[in-house]
Amino acid sequence: MFSKILIANRGEIALRIIRACRELGIRTVAVYSEADRNSLHIRFADEAICIGKAASSNSYLNIPAIISAAEITDVDAIHPGYGFLAENPHFAEICESCQITFIGPTSDNIRLMGDKMAARANMQKTGLPIVPGSISIVKNKEEALKTAKKIGYPVIIKAAAGGGGKGMRIAHNDISLISNLMTAQAEAEASFGNPNVYIEKYIEKPRHIEIQILADKYGHVIHLGERDCSIQRRHQKLLEESPSLAVDNRLRKRLGELAVKGAKTINYIGVGTIEFLLDQYNNFYFMEMNTRIQVEHPVTEMVTGIDLIKEQIRVACGEKLHFQQDDIQIKGVAIECRINAEDFENNFMPCPGKIETLNLPGGPGVRLDTHIYPGYEIPIFYDSLLAKVITYANSRQDAIRIMQRALSEFNIAPIKTTIPFHLRLLENPLFIKGDISTHFVQEMLKDEYKDLSQNE
Amino acid sequence: MNIKEIKELINLMNENGLVEIEIEKDGMRIRLKKTEAGMEASAGQTIVIEKTRLSPTQTKEEAPESIEKLATKTVEIKAPMVGTFYRAPSPEAPPYAEVGQTIEPGQVICIIEAMKLMNEIKSEIKGKILEILVDNTEPVEFGQPMFLIEPL
Repeated sequence: MFSKILIANRGEIALRIIRACRELGIRTVAVYSEADRNSLHIRFADEAICIGKAASSNSYLNIPAIISAAEITDVDAIHPGYGFLAENPHFAEICESCQITFIGPTSDNIRLMGDKMAARANMQKTGLPIVPGSISIVKNKEEALKTAKKIGYPVIIKAAAGGGGKGMRIAHNDISLISNLMTAQAEAEASFGNPNVYIEKYIEKPRHIEIQILADKYGHVIHLGERDCSIQRRHQKLLEESPSLAVDNRLRKRLGELAVKGAKTINYIGVGTIEFLLDQYNNFYFMEMNTRIQVEHPVTEMVTGIDLIKEQIRVACGEKLHFQQDDIQIKGVAIECRINAEDFENNFMPCPGKIETLNLPGGPGVRLDTHIYPGYEIPIFYDSLLAKVITYANSRQDAIRIMQRALSEFNIAPIKTTIPFHLRLLENPLFIKGDISTHFVQEMLKDEYKDLSQNE
Repeated sequence: MNIKEIKELINLMNENGLVEIEIEKDGMRIRLKKTEAGMEASAGQTIVIEKTRLSPTQTKEEAPESIEKLATKTVEIKAPMVGTFYRAPSPEAPPYAEVGQTIEPGQVICIIEAMKLMNEIKSEIKGKILEILVDNTEPVEFGQPMFLIEPL
């Protein structure tokens, strides 16, 4: 087992990793920017090194500074968390060459799955269905029109090097296809430095279903069920749940087997997530693979009873998986709400500031992953995630009730947070019924803002 | 130390606008500190003299005459990166800078090694090195003070 790990991240995930390390008897090194001098995770770590100024490029994305900190503290491994350098193949390579274990897959795994088009082609070869679309990059409008005719409207134009909803445009006919093609290319160039786009069939009212996999260095791969992450705003997840109402045992087995097969084919190591779109007719299509631990990992932990961060560290250290697929049971229902420092009533405008009053939720069935504390000054330089509230119960109805109760206890004053948004969401009859898709939030907000403006 | 010497010290303080002075001599330490009684008092300046006799084990050889100037302008040169601090370009070479030395802007004062690369750190100011706050081969973090400089 490793004796010392450096956590190349901040906020709630840094704290999460430190907690797992403490339970495994591993010493921890935290790195931080000047803006995070008063961050909670620094106090929990055994050692802390300031690596740069506030801007991410000077600190959490600063590879020389992080590697240097790892060298002077003599760590065995680096845990990259999520975001920042977690899916940077260059960083993984540098760790490898400095003989520091990168807690994650190989740089080749990361590089392969980072190229979204190559990932699609690869997974298709292993038998995963992919959304019908252009085989390669669409070079001009003639190709675009031909592809659209073949797969049928509506279609979506996507950036080949992209993600996060940038460089995406939907077209319902030839005219909008041509105009949107140029816009998408320009956006892709601006966001990723690469104007290449491809075209896919646009799935209407899809659910975002992702499968969690875990692989050791000896070729053993298992899956830990699915998460339904359909509740998104601008491609940012807001609420996740496991299991999904739309996935029965048979479908879970099928999705799981395909995900495991895909991971095995690319010799994947560590934790990973395979994302699918599920349409109304129960057809599913491979979207992409995330080669890191994800924000929403707690819901899988609650329903399987497995600590994913500990398992990540164990496999990175060379241990064999100590369970088989048959040992994995999905029990109960877990829901996670991401609480962000954003003003729901003002178009989710970010709301930094100092936390003067803090009352944390608790009680049976409630798990809280957070780095905030009374007096904490929320910095402006990083994402707005304040806390993850996770509830767990025997049924989805109960998990919803507990979440409503927990969120009503959660007071973060005077900061504007997305708690009011979640409370509206949890009492929405369509959500309660489970009638959701990736368009749900957009539709819900349209009605909400209509009500708000009427009340003014 | 006699009254005449103390009076000379007080004059020295006034002439140079010093607020506090501490002197060690012949096994004795004296600290003189200026406080202002109030805004309206024109000559309202009291001087507090604290005399402490050091223990006899502190021999004359160990207590050379030294004057520490406190509360005057000093500037810290801080580490611009994380790494290992070296005072010289190699173990056999002489250090780039010593205490008491005057340094110029652009002059290399130390090396910080990061990822097997030696980075020469240059001073941005002209001044005299009062203290070197890090030992040779010690690790430094971003923003850690390395040199205490009196700007000139």
